Amino acid sequence: MGPYDSSISAAAGCSSSSSSACSSSTKPPQPPDQMDHLLAGAGYKVRSNDLHQVAERLEHLENVMVKSSPVEISELVHDAVHYNPTDLASWVDSLLTELNTNPPVPVAVPTDIPDLHPFPANINVYSNNPPPLNNEFSQQVTTPLEEDVSIRLVHVLMTCAEAVQRGDLPLASLLIDDLQTLLGRVNSGCGIGKVGSFFIDALSRRIVNSPQNSVVQEELSAYENEMLYHHYYEACPYLKFAHFTANQAILEAFDGQDCVHVIDFNLMQGLQWPALIQALALRPGGPPLLRLTGIGPPSPDGRDSLREIGLKLAELARSVNVRFAFRGVAASRLEDVKSWMLQVSPKEAIAINSIMQLHKLLGPSQSIDVVLEWIHDLNPRILMVVEQDSNHNQSQFLDRFTEALYYYSTMFDSLDACTSQPEKTLAELYIQREICNVVCCEGLARVERHELLVTWRDRLRNAGFVPLHLGSNAFKQARMLLTLFSADGYCIEENEGCLTLGWHSRPLIAASAWQAVPKSSAAMGPINRPS
Amino acid sequence: MMAGSNEINANEAKKVVPLHTWILISNFKLAYNMLRRPDGTFNRELAEFLDRKVVANTVPVDGVYSFDVVDRATSLLNRIYRCAPPENESTRQLGAGIIELEKPLSTTEIVPVILFFHGGSFTHSSANSAIYDTFCRRLTGLIQGVVVSVNYRRSPEHRYPCAYEDGWEALKWVHSRSWLLSGKDSKVHVYLAGDSSGGNIAHHVAHRAATSGLKVLGNILLHPLFGGEERTESEKKLDGKYFVKLQDRDWYWRAFLPEGEDRDHPACNIFGPRGSNLAGVNFPKSLVVVAGLDLVQDWQLAYVEGLQIAGQNVKLLFLEKATIGFYFLPNNDHFYTLMEEMKNFVTPSPSPSPSPSPSPVCS
Repeated sequence: MGPYDSSISAAAGCSSSSSSACSSSTKPPQPPDQMDHLLAGAGYKVRSNDLHQVAERLEHLENVMVKSSPVEISELVHDAVHYNPTDLASWVDSLLTELNTNPPVPVAVPTDIPDLHPFPANINVYSNNPPPLNNEFSQQVTTPLEEDVSIRLVHVLMTCAEAVQRGDLPLASLLIDDLQTLLGRVNSGCGIGKVGSFFIDALSRRIVNSPQNSVVQEELSAYENEMLYHHYYEACPYLKFAHFTANQAILEAFDGQDCVHVIDFNLMQGLQWPALIQALALRPGGPPLLRLTGIGPPSPDGRDSLREIGLKLAELARSVNVRFAFRGVAASRLEDVKSWMLQVSPKEAIAINSIMQLHKLLGPSQSIDVVLEWIHDLNPRILMVVEQDSNHNQSQFLDRFTEALYYYSTMFDSLDACTSQPEKTLAELYIQREICNVVCCEGLARVERHELLVTWRDRLRNAGFVPLHLGSNAFKQARMLLTLFSADGYCIEENEGCLTLGWHSRPLIAASAWQAVPKSSAAMGPINRPS
Repeated sequence: MMAGSNEINANEAKKVVPLHTWILISNFKLAYNMLRRPDGTFNRELAEFLDRKVVANTVPVDGVYSFDVVDRATSLLNRIYRCAPPENESTRQLGAGIIELEKPLSTTEIVPVILFFHGGSFTHSSANSAIYDTFCRRLTGLIQGVVVSVNYRRSPEHRYPCAYEDGWEALKWVHSRSWLLSGKDSKVHVYLAGDSSGGNIAHHVAHRAATSGLKVLGNILLHPLFGGEERTESEKKLDGKYFVKLQDRDWYWRAFLPEGEDRDHPACNIFGPRGSNLAGVNFPKSLVVVAGLDLVQDWQLAYVEGLQIAGQNVKLLFLEKATIGFYFLPNNDHFYTLMEEMKNFVTPSPSPSPSPSPSPVCS
């Protein structure tokens, strides 16, 4: 038992909520991977058995910092890259390493490696259960009457969705009429008026198509798809954040590699790749040989749009002296892609880049497992995953509807701040298609099956991947990216080695990086990038 | 010898706080040391990276749920904490927050609303910082009411008087929410509360409320941040002993106060040479909590005395062996004493208002 004041903690009421508050020596030892409950409430994950060790290291760190010169401290702060502050023990150790000091030899060397168990079920700190909609939606000051109508609108939307879930379609239809009336009384140019109208529209379509329940969204032409995507890309930072953060992580993963191969799960217009090509061109020691395999839907009109994008990127690569080769893989669905189609070579370093694609594999065929398995077998140096951070895949329609309503309201809030047209309107239409898919469609047609970051973490770990933590350098760069967007509410946060981009306090997009480990070995801890 | 005295100080602190508290507060201390630059600037990026935040959660946890609201007029975020309604048919079906926002808190009972300002010496933390989210959840369950946590603008980017203005806007916002009304008199029954710099903000907002006629029922100040040019006994005696160095306190004042100002500025030194006279002001009753191992305590005690001299209703809760941040973890006596005091403070008393003479409670 250490020198800490145990008398106070033992004398405290030891209320039932925190059994680990009383650190008396008679308490039985915790199971090795038990996370301390008290520090968890402060946002830190420390194993109960490691508490004394962490305290020792903190003390050691303080002694070292006191002895260091201001220059050393300033260097420590300026140059050191921090990772995953939630893991307090490793953060302290990394600082000790930065200051070129060995941490004190622990009394007992842990024989098991910290496993990343999910948070105890009663602490929901990282779940994204959405905030209830409120009346604070219009840009202008709302009158009390308008506020009331906004609240009413949300209430009726929910009641309508609930009626749909119950199958009470006559009631639902009546409520749609109510909703249209209410809509007429709010400012439909922004806030709840705008996003509300999209949800009302989606609900109507679902009602009209019941009981066949077979809403299929109309296909857009390739041109229309590109238009919407491109304006969404410009109007708000979500895609740029995804590309930017992914490129940084990929660049680091390719450090020291001469032959690299990026596999893009959804090439679209290839907007992500010029920046990476240029970054590789400027790499100290020179660029590697870069192969890019772009996956995308087959072009209906005889064009080979994948090849066209590839040619443009090849042109750019040539202009900056990067040896470059492109292959397009046409597939209507990601699950149709097999790894042999990617023609990977054993000596190349592979990066898998999935920007908002993996969730499409969570449908009835559950092809996610098959796909993660062949990704794993490719042994990529990095699997980059960017996904919408929300649970739009719940089996209960009302739950899904509620989460989507909050999620997209927040996203629309952020768009409110964008003023340039036609970017804003077309971006809204891009988002509307997502909303429609989540609300109207079922079965194979429903591809927008977003899940929370915590869920993806579990799934990827179970599939044999470990996190490659995104650190304070990536965080800082992402924040700089935001300065290009005038709206003041965008927010980058660090979440246990992942980065999220959100609006005010609500994360909307989560970026995480992963590396494959041999499945047969014991679960391993996370990997911090070399600084 | 620096290293030697540092080891002694570490041992001092260890003797009086439980292990978890020592780890938590030491972690903050070391992280914050890295964030403050000698030239007075602040490494905001690293600060935001290191700060552990949590999202709001409308699913009740231990009977409390939360949601965030952005005040469109000011772009300020407030995090609202409420007690989950008792389970019944209508509330179970739809999202918890939706129903509640349509109605007042109660038409018969008085439900206390605490407007809370988080600490961090005006510089650190946010309303959605994990430590403050956890604290506010506990507070909400304790008072069986509503807590509104304000995400005020911080220094050095936003100096005096930004935090006070944000606090004032938040108070007006709270008073204008129909869904925070309670009691037969259909009013918003609001108290102000804050720890460290939050306590300082609470005082100033209360003062402004008093002179503007906006009703505040009480102030809860948890080791509030006050100071002055003079070096007090407690500052000299406790400098560096229990997690805090006097030079750190100085840094934060320099970062908050207008450039060129000193610590006798009325924001900092409430009853000092440039302070205001609160005699005759309709100031709310105050509960001032002082940690006996906080080096700032002499200023806090001077504040209490100043309120007494001005004839104001103030109760002092002096916790002799408490260090700063004792209320973050429920692992010590002081925590439970504090909870009890706060609960009593906001519970509407059956009898008419208590006498103005203060009743200090020491423990």
